[in-house]
Amino acid sequence: MLPLSLLHTAAGHPLLVELKNGETFNGHLVNCDNWMNLTLREVIQTSPDGDRFWRLPECYIRGNTIKYLNVPEEIVDMVKEDEAKARQARRGRENGYNNRGRGQNRGRGGQNHRGGSGGQRGGGNMGSRA
Amino acid sequence: MVVLRDGRKLIGTLRSFDQFANLVLQDTIERIYVGNCYGDIPRGIFLIRGENVVLLGEIDLDKEERSNLREIPVEEVLVAQREEMEAKQRLEKIRSRVLHEQGFCVDNSQNDLY
Repeated sequence: MLPLSLLHTAAGHPLLVELKNGETFNGHLVNCDNWMNLTLREVIQTSPDGDRFWRLPECYIRGNTIKYLNVPEEIVDMVKEDEAKARQARRGRENGYNNRGRGQNRGRGGQNHRGGSGGQRGGGNMGSRA
Repeated sequence: MVVLRDGRKLIGTLRSFDQFANLVLQDTIERIYVGNCYGDIPRGIFLIRGENVVLLGEIDLDKEERSNLREIPVEEVLVAQREEMEAKQRLEKIRSRVLHEQGFCVDNSQNDLY
């Protein structure tokens, strides 16, 4: 799964962010975007030397200042569930679009099934690539 | 193994990446090398922002077995690393003073070794 989608899945979970200057931020991820900008809640900020601490109820971190993020192990299991859910949603949507077009051909038999399985095949491929 | 700009070496399983070379590493350990020795710190799952990566490479497990480095407890390696850092910083201070005297512009951003 893409790194940024892993991050989206981690919303609501505690994580550690280290910035390029060595400061660390421990807190719960509220939200993130495509530039890796984050909002965290209940944050403990630590200075690069590890000698000073601050407690921040909320904070915003600009993505380009981040060195790395440390996320808990459970996220990986959640990722698999989320991917399965996303695939279901995509398949449901595609079947809906296919049936709308092919609704008129229902009388002619096989065409509906072909359209449906075509949608699934596409979804399956995308799933394994990710 | 991934080497970061701050000099850290992280070893883990590469799970995914994107067009910015942001990486997801699983079961990561941070390995600190001092002299002939190294120490490991288990770290879990890392999401590394691509611009902080210097290089990464696949570890040859056969060569790993044959390497001459010995593993030492984390506490020892951290102490050794601190001593090495302090020695380097002292040298760097002298070096930057001399260069400054000669008229060179010295940049002391220690977080970014590259």
